[in-house]
Amino acid sequence: ELLGRSHITNAFKILLFYVIFYGCLAGIFIGTIQVMLLTVSEFEPKYQDRVAPPGLTQVPQVQKTEISFTASDSKSYEPYVKNLEKFLKDYSADQQTENIVFQDCGEMPTDYKDRGPYSDAQGQKKVCKFKREWLENCSGIQDPTFGYKDGKPCILVKLNRIIGFKPKAPVNDSLPAEVMAKYSPYLIPVHCAAKREEDADKIGTVEYYGMGGYSGFALQYYPYYGKLLQPRYLQPLVAVQFTNLTYDVEVRVECRAYGQNIQYSDKDRFQGRFDIKFDIRSS
Amino acid sequence: SASELEEKYGTSINKGLSSSRAAEILARDGPNSLTPPKATPEIVKFLKQMVGGFSILLWIGAVFSWISFGIQFAQGAESPFDNLYLGVVLALVVILTGIFAYYQEAKSTNIMASFSKMIPQQALVIRDAEKKELPAEQLVVGDIVEIKGGDRIPADIRLISAQGCKVDNSSLTGESEPQSRSCDFTHENPLETKNIAFYSTTCVEGTATGIVINTGDRTVIGRIASLASGVGNEKTPIAIEIEHFVYLVAGVAISIGVLFFIISVSMRYKILDSIIFLIGIIVANVPEGLLATVTVSLSLTAKRMAKKNCLVKNLEAVETLGSTSIICSDKTGTLTQNRMTVAHLWFDNQIYSADTSEDQTTQPFDQSSPSWTALSKIVTLCNRAEFRPGQENLPIMKRVVVGDASETALLKFAEVILGDVMSIRAQNKKVAEIPFNSTNKFQLSIHETDDPNDKRFLLVMKGAPERILERCSTIMINGKEEPLDSEKAEAFQTAYMELGGMGERVLGFCHLYLPENEFPDTYPFDTDSMNFPTSNLCFVGLLSMIDPPRSTVPDAVSKCRSAGIKVIMVTGDHPITAKAIAKSVGIISATSETVEDIAKRLNIPVEQVNRREATAAVVNGMELKDMSLQQLDDILCNHSEIVFARTSPQQKLIIVEGCQRQGAVVAVTGDGVNDSPALKKADIGIAMGIAGSDAAKNAADMVLLDDNFASIVTGVEEGRLIFDNLKKTIAYTLTKNIAELCPFLIYIIASIPMPIGTITILFIDLGTDIIPSVALAYEKAESDIMNRRPRNKKKDRLVNEQLAVYSYLQIGIIQSVGAFVTYFTVYAEQGFLPSTLLGVRVDWENNAINDFEDSYGQEWTKYQRMYLQWTGYTAFFVSITIQQVADLIIRKTRRNSIFQQGLFRNKVIWVGIFSQIGIALILSYVLMAYWFVAVPFAILIWVYDEDFKLSLPPLPLTHPC
Repeated sequence: ELLGRSHITNAFKILLFYVIFYGCLAGIFIGTIQVMLLTVSEFEPKYQDRVAPPGLTQVPQVQKTEISFTASDSKSYEPYVKNLEKFLKDYSADQQTENIVFQDCGEMPTDYKDRGPYSDAQGQKKVCKFKREWLENCSGIQDPTFGYKDGKPCILVKLNRIIGFKPKAPVNDSLPAEVMAKYSPYLIPVHCAAKREEDADKIGTVEYYGMGGYSGFALQYYPYYGKLLQPRYLQPLVAVQFTNLTYDVEVRVECRAYGQNIQYSDKDRFQGRFDIKFDIRSS
Repeated sequence: SASELEEKYGTSINKGLSSSRAAEILARDGPNSLTPPKATPEIVKFLKQMVGGFSILLWIGAVFSWISFGIQFAQGAESPFDNLYLGVVLALVVILTGIFAYYQEAKSTNIMASFSKMIPQQALVIRDAEKKELPAEQLVVGDIVEIKGGDRIPADIRLISAQGCKVDNSSLTGESEPQSRSCDFTHENPLETKNIAFYSTTCVEGTATGIVINTGDRTVIGRIASLASGVGNEKTPIAIEIEHFVYLVAGVAISIGVLFFIISVSMRYKILDSIIFLIGIIVANVPEGLLATVTVSLSLTAKRMAKKNCLVKNLEAVETLGSTSIICSDKTGTLTQNRMTVAHLWFDNQIYSADTSEDQTTQPFDQSSPSWTALSKIVTLCNRAEFRPGQENLPIMKRVVVGDASETALLKFAEVILGDVMSIRAQNKKVAEIPFNSTNKFQLSIHETDDPNDKRFLLVMKGAPERILERCSTIMINGKEEPLDSEKAEAFQTAYMELGGMGERVLGFCHLYLPENEFPDTYPFDTDSMNFPTSNLCFVGLLSMIDPPRSTVPDAVSKCRSAGIKVIMVTGDHPITAKAIAKSVGIISATSETVEDIAKRLNIPVEQVNRREATAAVVNGMELKDMSLQQLDDILCNHSEIVFARTSPQQKLIIVEGCQRQGAVVAVTGDGVNDSPALKKADIGIAMGIAGSDAAKNAADMVLLDDNFASIVTGVEEGRLIFDNLKKTIAYTLTKNIAELCPFLIYIIASIPMPIGTITILFIDLGTDIIPSVALAYEKAESDIMNRRPRNKKKDRLVNEQLAVYSYLQIGIIQSVGAFVTYFTVYAEQGFLPSTLLGVRVDWENNAINDFEDSYGQEWTKYQRMYLQWTGYTAFFVSITIQQVADLIIRKTRRNSIFQQGLFRNKVIWVGIFSQIGIALILSYVLMAYWFVAVPFAILIWVYDEDFKLSLPPLPLTHPC
């Protein structure tokens, strides 16, 4: 019995030891993490070498980078439409009414809008308005199915947000002819083409909608000041509508953004470009 | 008779066998050689390395990797090849470590193989009525062979003629005294009869002719050798320990793996993902590099021991010696110098002691008495032994002598004291001589004297003391001849008994100056008719000889004693000699008594003595024969100092088994073929490199190159040290397992991005950690390891609970915390604050999400996240490495503060640390920034460990029975 009791007290001692030991360790852990966080600014990350140069992504995003539906079956494209609608909600005019937050940055691409240091010394930073109407057929205002019911799907293209990143407009001679057609020195143009040579004729006509009818991202939306300073930041969009896609075949489309500091990589297929697969079934 | 023999073996004594008949018999019986023990085929050895230890677990990991690759590939997932490569890497790890272990093993076996390659023996055979030199292997039953002094007997031989033939049967019976052989049948027992010479014994002198009666495995030696191979090989203690360790770690790996498999399945992870987690957990838990490290450490120690004259045949035996608790040692050659040496002298009614050490150059006893001058003259002249010519530059003790053991002893003794014996003999020309024979038991010679004025002849005689005394009427005291009255005879008896009681062989010496008038210059001495006086001589003195203990042995025995190792002497010699040597080397300490001693002191019959009072025991082989196992156990347990005398090979085996029944780890030394069963049975068999027979070396685990008992003690020290150091190595290696395992567990439970990859873990286990863990093998002992008792096989495990708990639950956890701080720092500085990381796993790993938002609102593509994740791996890897440096430093000692042990005594540790950091630098050529995050935790580990060591209770230094 005595042995039993000493065993119990022993076990209790050991338990107590580990409680204290792990307690202390947890304290040390939390303490060092807090100290580490003190060295990190709230407003901008210490390093951005992993996140830049930016990626180019599309909406809708459902599971895979693939859009496949039947024009006559509303159920088949419902997820895409919902996804687009949800994304564009923040771009609606009624969401951009507060003048303390939003600023009218004009209808045409202009130069960067620097808004001072990356700190809250002057409170939150203003955000450029982006009118949903600029997206025209792809705005979802006239056609709530974004062209899907007619087999003419829209996608939205956006450049990934990176704090302080100022994309530079491309030097003119390196661009495809279609992009050169509507050139602005304050624009990061976007262009979509068939990924594979043999798909070139299946892709049909491609319509681009964006600020001032430009297919690209206007520079006045940059730089981005981060979630804390610009909580309601609207990144510039380009809508791309494929009005004459060949049905019943897989068509792979690659969209690229062009800029001096926009790069492409073989390893990262979403850096400065992306590719998306269309598969529209006729019935 | 000869003709019967001829008939029985179908041969002719004069002509021998015909070549064709011999070939027939050879075809029937096989060659005349011992079948070597069956070797395991190399491929089996190799495959054993492939599936032993952790290999099975790693194979399982590899197979799982391939399975998940197969599934992913079939499903067309994006990057299925990762798992294929992981599987290949795991398989490679197993195969490479297997090859490495196999190579190490093979290397140490090769050292031994060189031993068995001896020059093929030749035998002189009569065949087809001609004398032929044949390789001994081709001998067959019925062959007539001739042998002469110096030959090895090529087979079991029945002698048909012999001239002064003596054989040395020591390799068979352990008795070192040469035995004469003749063609007379003297005993029923073939081992005792005089007309048989045995295979592998040597003919010391004389010549003989005989008929081969047995060849190869059917010889007496062959039968003993097969007895040896019948004794199974038991697992070495270190093999058991490593097995225990493997079970422990594998148990932890499997139970955590299965537990988390269940957890992850019930957390609705996909089965495939769960399998991948399982692989990660296995890889994190298995110390892939450890078994290779252990092998390297053992072979380093083996090398070190080889330098100290212990050649280790089986790597694992290195440690066995360290855990030895009983050494059963041979006497002749191991404890003693294996040569007769003059130990005592008696003249002028007084006993003098002579120096018996190995490298004597002078003798310290009083040499001023004229009696000594007379005695030394007899010793010099009445001696037929001679130095082989051309050895003038060698020390006297090392010179080779032609002659028997006692004459050699006397010759060397005289040479040391008097200088050039040969020239003294030349000055005292020998005119007649009667050599020693067993009937008269004396040796006599007559010399001219070196004094030109003294024309008398000097007759000198030596022999068995009682026979010599019978022939004397006077005795020399202080140079004067005095009548030998009963009082003086009494004094002689007392001295004789005393010297004999010390186990020494005693010789008496006397002389007589022949009167000039009766024996003029030209007197024809005739040794056959003995035309000169052989009685009424003048007794001069006694000399006693012994095979003295090696000078290093008493020290070694006392070291064994303080190390808690019991030394038992097992010898074929006479009990009195055995006891005397045991006493002089300290196997029986000065204060302890045997039952017989107590009986003698108290003057009571032996039966009445309380056996518990006697600490020592001398057991005769005859007594042992009648003993039950119970009685033997009783003796082994109750007496701390034991000598077994007059034992046979089988009895040696029984003694070893008895010791093993006590739970002891038994080391046995031996040199003869007769020892091989016991060598094999012992936990570690130690064969003598110089005197040892091949059979003994084959059966042994270790070979003592200098035949010196003291070398065993250094071996024990090394063995204990390596056990301590292996503990350190294992503690070092196990610690980081937790830091490798925690990431997986937290990844599964908290769904954070993966902190460390499986391949990265292998970088640690097989890259940065290898050299440091080997470096621990060079660590010096913390305290006097030779003052500890041998480890208890059942209690002192290589990996005990305390070591595992301390490594896993304390240091390992601190390491994990340190590594996680680094991990969170990397992510936070890149944009993901710790709070945003929890629960992100599914989206984080989704290939379709390329605008993953971080804490600042920035968006990341999949590849950018993966790149960040790899940065995290590297940082995690680097911080484990940094903390392993601290771990390495704390593992240098187990009890002492690092300040006591000194940071710089073991230079190899620094090689380890620099290699570790160097390899880590190469593997993570970027990211210097994250090298320092874990440094505070490394310091924390060190400070914590110092405190832990301070809190340890002092080591108990008790020495129970």
